[in-house]
Amino acid sequence: MAFLAYPFANILLLLYNLLGQSTVGAIAALTLVINLLMLPLTLKQQRSARRMQEIQPELEKIKKKYAKDKEKQAQATMKLYQDKNVSLTAGCLPLLIQLPIWFSLIVAIKACIPSTPLDVFQFSQHIYRFLPGVVGLVPLQNTFLGMDLGMKPSPAQWWSYTLPVLVFATSWLQQKLLTPPTSDSANASGQESMAAQQMKTMQTMMPLLMMFFTLQYPVGLSIYFVLSSVIRIAQYYIVQLRDIRAEGSA
Amino acid sequence: MLLGTSGCGSAPTSWTGITIDGDRIYAADFDTVQALSADDGSEVWAFPTNPKGSNDMFYAAPAVGEGLVVVASKAPPGGFLGQDIYTVWGLDVESGRDAWSFDGAAGEFVEGGAIGQGVFVIGSGDGYVYALELETGRLLWTFETGHRVWATPLIISGVVYVGSADRHLYAIDLFEGTQRWAFEGDGAFAGRPALWQETLFVGAFDDTLYAIDVETGSEVWRLESDNWFWGGPAVYSDTLYAVDVGGRVYALDAETGAEIWRRELEVPVRAGPAVSEDGSRLFVASQPGTLHALDTADGYEMWTDDNEAQLYMSPIVSGSIVYQAMLYGQYRIKAVQVDNGREVWVYPPPEAE
Repeated sequence: MAFLAYPFANILLLLYNLLGQSTVGAIAALTLVINLLMLPLTLKQQRSARRMQEIQPELEKIKKKYAKDKEKQAQATMKLYQDKNVSLTAGCLPLLIQLPIWFSLIVAIKACIPSTPLDVFQFSQHIYRFLPGVVGLVPLQNTFLGMDLGMKPSPAQWWSYTLPVLVFATSWLQQKLLTPPTSDSANASGQESMAAQQMKTMQTMMPLLMMFFTLQYPVGLSIYFVLSSVIRIAQYYIVQLRDIRAEGSA
Repeated sequence: MLLGTSGCGSAPTSWTGITIDGDRIYAADFDTVQALSADDGSEVWAFPTNPKGSNDMFYAAPAVGEGLVVVASKAPPGGFLGQDIYTVWGLDVESGRDAWSFDGAAGEFVEGGAIGQGVFVIGSGDGYVYALELETGRLLWTFETGHRVWATPLIISGVVYVGSADRHLYAIDLFEGTQRWAFEGDGAFAGRPALWQETLFVGAFDDTLYAIDVETGSEVWRLESDNWFWGGPAVYSDTLYAVDVGGRVYALDAETGAEIWRRELEVPVRAGPAVSEDGSRLFVASQPGTLHALDTADGYEMWTDDNEAQLYMSPIVSGSIVYQAMLYGQYRIKAVQVDNGREVWVYPPPEAE
């Protein structure tokens, strides 16, 4: 799962060198790079969510028309989704694709801001020495606002616990914005409402899991998650605004 | 994801270590500290006596002096949101009973400490160097550096020389804890310095081995390689031996830094080399598990000892035996003959499996 770890770690070193040896700056820049690479997927997710919102009136009509025939209601609903190119899994897919990225980032951050020497020893054999100025950088500067970026949140630096809370808040908001609404379609059929309920559970459980996850891993990783969510929320509003303007001019 | 959130996975975060003193070996061996006979590896004592009742993990080589064995440990926190507990223990050298403990550090102790003139000094992952009164464990002073301290200090004539990952080698007064000088390199210092006459030798993560004047902290000469220097170098007579993490072994003139020979082992090496007592053999422990014995005259490989384990710690030589601590292997410690690498004993002994 961590096959991207060394490339990420080397990119982190390069960015650190280019950005005046700022560790948070390097993490922020790497976050931006990763999110730009994921942009096609997140745009697809966002547009699918928008289409879902747009078809809500038609879903209501189907629900009323086939109120006594659940099977036909389900068939008509699924046909509508297909015709309008709406995906119920659009909210989950980016998360699943991001999992190998997260695991690779954990290894990369632990290699560049190690809390123990075993974290960094293997990486010493995989530094891309052809990159300018990267030799000698490891370990990166590890403090930010009095927190140790290479260690998990701790009582000694009690304010470091705010970062996992921010991870929860920003990822929950991101999920809410980018996941298609399912409340109206939940009553269409038993099978569909289960899928809808699962989606709703995921929207809360994933941010909670991420919060508990970041309580056990270096603070630097929390910074990545928070920034990543903030970037996606900004992307959401930018794309929404652009689509609204495009519709207006059409 | 669930494993990550639960914090499961208790793989070692550092390596075990051994120290030899007289006819005993003292080993920090994960869940216990042991005193073993250097002759046959038989156990003399262990601390704690019931490892299953303790959460402490012991890493790094013990320091021995003035009737005490001083080791460091790490224990997991009591609650989900707690912090690991890092402790220094002073154990009676004869019985292994704990005489004192100190748990005032906020970072992991990776390498062992050093003892000098009644003071025990050790660096921590929290960036501080701690000095404890050896007899009681009382904190004498702390010295703050800018990053993790992973190096074993060297204590000479009332001065502590210790490297930090903040790219400095510090000279600190042993009794006052005040800085005498600081030498700045271009990479982290993680190895123990070696002293020859008035010159200190230490490598750094900037691929450079430095020779530094012990009085002033000024650079005397430097050697640049293609990989980090991590383990501390060794000096015998007027020759300095050093290994970089890419497995390049150097023999250098200690005064000028001129290369006498070099040997490419082409394996990763974390540990510093060790020299036999007669100066004829140089021992290098490679991380994949091979102990290499080289002729100090020209670097010719005399023999190798392969192990199904990982070697992170420098070998230790005493008389005709070289001792090696091992990680992830069937055996934790192995003793082989200096001349030919023939096994003398292993620990735990095969009949105990």
